[in-house]
Amino acid sequence: MASVLSEEPSLVAAIQGAIKQSWLFIAFFIGFFLFWEYSVVIFDIPRYILTPPSEVVRNGWADLDRLLYYTWITGVETLLGYVVAVVIALPLGLAIAFSSILRRTVYPFFVCLEMTPKIAFAPLFISWLGFGLLPKVIIVFLVCFFPIVLNAILAFNSLSEELTRFCRSTGAGAWRTFIKVRLPAAMPQCFVGFKYAAINATVGAAIAEFIGSDQGLGFYIQIVTGNMRPDLAFAGIFFLTLLGLSLFGAVTLAERLLIPWHISVRRAAGT
Amino acid sequence: MPDLIEIRQVTKVFGRGATEVHAFGPVDLAIEAGQFVSLLGPSGCGKSTLVLMLAGLLERSAGTIRIGGKEVTGPQTDIGIMFQDNTLVPWRTVRGNVELQLEMRGMPPKPHADRVMSLLRAVHLEDFAERHPHELSGGMQQRAAFCQAMVHDPRIMLLDEPLGKLDAMTRERIRSDLQQLWMQQRPTVLFVTHSIEEAVQLSTQVAVITPRPGRIDRLIPIDLPFPRDLAVKNSPTFVGHVREIQEIFRGFGVI
Ligand SMILES: Nc1ncnc2c1ncn2[C@@H]1O[C@H](COP(=O)(O)OP(=O)(O)OP(=O)(O)O)[C@@H](O)[C@H]1O
Ligand SMILES: [Mg+2]
Repeated sequence: MASVLSEEPSLVAAIQGAIKQSWLFIAFFIGFFLFWEYSVVIFDIPRYILTPPSEVVRNGWADLDRLLYYTWITGVETLLGYVVAVVIALPLGLAIAFSSILRRTVYPFFVCLEMTPKIAFAPLFISWLGFGLLPKVIIVFLVCFFPIVLNAILAFNSLSEELTRFCRSTGAGAWRTFIKVRLPAAMPQCFVGFKYAAINATVGAAIAEFIGSDQGLGFYIQIVTGNMRPDLAFAGIFFLTLLGLSLFGAVTLAERLLIPWHISVRRAAGT
Repeated sequence: MPDLIEIRQVTKVFGRGATEVHAFGPVDLAIEAGQFVSLLGPSGCGKSTLVLMLAGLLERSAGTIRIGGKEVTGPQTDIGIMFQDNTLVPWRTVRGNVELQLEMRGMPPKPHADRVMSLLRAVHLEDFAERHPHELSGGMQQRAAFCQAMVHDPRIMLLDEPLGKLDAMTRERIRSDLQQLWMQQRPTVLFVTHSIEEAVQLSTQVAVITPRPGRIDRLIPIDLPFPRDLAVKNSPTFVGHVREIQEIFRGFGVI
């Protein structure tokens, strides 16, 4: 947040501030895992129900090869689905925003589809397309597609009246107006969709793997849980989280590079 | 000399049926080239509406508008418009925002760099040329927006409350800068304001507008020498005009 104090922070004050803020978080984090670690012992919880984090780390480490390989598998599914969703949804959102016919036909259709849980289609796709890569990519795609397309439509439709008038008063053509004003003005709202989709992409991949798969982190979690190995399940969840964080981090980084001027980016950067 | 801007029986009604709002008119107004005309009226009387109709950015419900003898049927691109809300884009610096006007018109900004800088200097923003709008105060943004609206050197300027967000001191200074600029180049200016004194100081004519639906109650010629410095502002004629207009608004019950 921009405050009077953060206007010109001295380095010392900045570091102190960072420590002060993170301290609380780190303390909470450590506290949480300590509680987990010892509550298993104190309450005498059987290991096939819950294992302490230390064992998750130890046993996960022992099974690292498989975990890394499955992370790679799930990562490919997630990334492919996500990228295809961006590549299709963004131009489509643009087209819908600027075409009144599409806005009256496809748009309401998409709004309805957005309401249906896409995950519910997963068993169908798996029965149609088998256990391979394709149905997972499609499900990730479905999960990511709607937030991106709907936010893109919103983004390209919400240029302020004043700026619209400014553009018209210059006599600039549609293309120049688009490149110089509409596109940059739409970026922040587009990123809302990109980020939301990034958060949900791994969810789509994992559930698709639960339903029908012979590899990947979702498959792994399901199998080890069936084998009464919650420690390995947690290790799988850890890598799944890592995957989601990486995707989200990459999108956030892209946002910082592309629209450093936007208020949300400036807030996050604390200037 | 023929009138540069002719406004005849211009009316604006927003909406239809039960939610209809008669915002403005019917109004007749003729502005000669080189005049500085103020639209002075209470909030909501339709000043911005008239500016937008003149610029061809808002359809009128009735009447005709001619600029230079040609009827206004679409956006007028050879005039300068400063909108009531500023049109600075957040992703460009102050300089970039001024250049945006040029770029949108297909003019490369490089050859006009001097003009951009001299405009920024004229509004005392030269040190902020590389800053983004969010690093500027409201008044500074407004001054930047002024440069953006004027950089293509238009012969007609429509200024919708260009000094609205300025503090009293800066406002006084920019006012006299604006007067200098107008005296040097004698563009035709339509200037929207709420300030009686400002209108009298800057204008060759003041159009006093009634509360909504706005009509021109009186068109008052201000025959005072330019520049209108402190001496002129203390003259009986100046003070008389201010009083006269205050009386009109008192009659409307708005002050
Ligand atoms: N898009 C719109 N739809 C409906 N009514 C509108 C619209 N725009 C303006 N109005 C109405 O028209 C009237 C005139 O508005 P306008 O913005 O021209 O006033 P103004 O004189 O510029 O006021 P201010 O000094 O506050 O800027 C107002 O009463 C407003 O309610
Ligand atoms: Mg207005």
